[in-house]
Amino acid sequence: MRAVLAIVRVSLRQALGGKRILALGLVGLIPALVMWLSSRNLTARAAMNQFHDAPFAILFLMVLPICSLVIGSGAMGDERRDGTLSFLLLRPIPRSSIVGAKLVASWLAATAIVVGSGVVAVVALGVRSGDYSPLLPVIIGVAISTMAYTAVFLLLGHLTSRAVLIGLVYVFIWESSITFAAPGLANVSLFRIGITAYTAMVPESLRQLGDVMGSLDPGTWGAVAKVVVIAALTVTALASLLRRRDAVSE
Amino acid sequence: MTSSPAIVADPIIEVESVSKWFGQKVAVSDISCSFGRGITGLLGPNGAGKTTLLRMICGLLRPSDGSVRVLGADPRRDPSVYAKTVLVPEEDAVYPFLTGRDFVRYAADLAGAPRSAVDGAITSVDLQAAADRPISGYSKGMRQRAKVAAALVTTPDVLVLDEPLNGTDPLQRAHLIDLFRGLGASGKTVIVSSHVLAEVERMADRVLAVVDGRLAAAGDITAIRRAMADIPYRVRIETGEGRRMAAMLMETDVVSSVTVTGAVLHVETSDLGALGVTVPRIARDLDSRLAGFEPEDESLESVFRYLVRRR
Repeated sequence: MRAVLAIVRVSLRQALGGKRILALGLVGLIPALVMWLSSRNLTARAAMNQFHDAPFAILFLMVLPICSLVIGSGAMGDERRDGTLSFLLLRPIPRSSIVGAKLVASWLAATAIVVGSGVVAVVALGVRSGDYSPLLPVIIGVAISTMAYTAVFLLLGHLTSRAVLIGLVYVFIWESSITFAAPGLANVSLFRIGITAYTAMVPESLRQLGDVMGSLDPGTWGAVAKVVVIAALTVTALASLLRRRDAVSE
Repeated sequence: MTSSPAIVADPIIEVESVSKWFGQKVAVSDISCSFGRGITGLLGPNGAGKTTLLRMICGLLRPSDGSVRVLGADPRRDPSVYAKTVLVPEEDAVYPFLTGRDFVRYAADLAGAPRSAVDGAITSVDLQAAADRPISGYSKGMRQRAKVAAALVTTPDVLVLDEPLNGTDPLQRAHLIDLFRGLGASGKTVIVSSHVLAEVERMADRVLAVVDGRLAAAGDITAIRRAMADIPYRVRIETGEGRRMAAMLMETDVVSSVTVTGAVLHVETSDLGALGVTVPRIARDLDSRLAGFEPEDESLESVFRYLVRRR
């Protein structure tokens, strides 16, 4: 446990240090800014509807996947690029513990930024309308989808040095375009997992969000179960890769 | 099996017919050797396959063929081996945002070693003064010492050191050599790779020489030295009387071959000292000015290649 906590601690410093975190923080302010500018002179109900429009979409379709992509893909990718992966692997720790610790650290780091972004957006809504009720549902929804994304991008970051590029294609072509065009694919969309948890806690949002995103089956525990499965599959697959493949290149 | 100088009687690390290729490129070819307690030097020119061999020993690379056992186990299958085995890699492999002390503490946490050992490890590499500064500000030599401290904090039985003296200044080098010798004398199994013969000579009594991915020579350092004594040296001589000097040199038993290109002679000899006496004497007899006398291939690479050809 001491080793796992040490990996989480150092990985958090690795993820949250540097200039990229400043850039992600600025991206995280966009939903609140859009909410603030687009909700002038609106009634409380209209402001809530507005929150579920552009600010919500920007939070779940842009801020969340981009932060998860940058931090998740860097968790293993940075270790490989900097040559420190061998430092981690040559320790008396199971590979699955190393991967699990990296996943937890990148999830915590990405969630901290995206939750911060969501909280500021809800505060902007609250200041305009006096309604802060989406606060907890946003936090839970964001935390759930962030786990799904960071798990997938953690694996991607280990497999290729072009993880950010491939991840952006995935986010903006697959998640933001194809899954909207083909409603049958909605169930394999990662950001929708968090939104199903959100709609379960904010039922009045279901109709508005459902109109845009296709069929959503509200359910918090179902969403949690999905990301647990995704995380477990990632840890298993990545640990297996670390055991089977060469840890360093020529 | 133990008749080969590459094999020791009580091995801690056993390498059996190991090969490694990356696509079409063969990095290590059919090497069998073993390592016991004390220091073994792994000597070879850059690109010879030393690092690949060490990475296979540590389990970072899977052998394409053959097997490796460390402390009786396969390090790729049994991570518990790493409780007693450490690698100090050639590349930086440090976290620049950590201080030296944090880095060594991290290594201790990962290995389950007591944190009380951190200060001792830092002191052993003489890094106390810089221990609380970020590694990003360290020189190459300080980074090397931080990596060695991170290795020593776990009190390993097996230390694999890949070019550990790279980037260190003469004082640091002397300190690290003393440290490694002490570890070897205390019964640890220490493998030190280097492309500099003089460095290995100062640390190891036993040497394995690797060239072009193959084991070129093995044994104690004096045997390697003796083998190297037979090497024909190529010497470039420049004089105004090239052809006449060539003819007079061929009449002596000092040279084995001479080629002449204008005023330049390329001479092959197995006795560099005798040639150094003979050539000025002939030049004086010919009343000719000696404009140049320099060995052409004194590099370690040529020495290793000679050893390979002799096998």
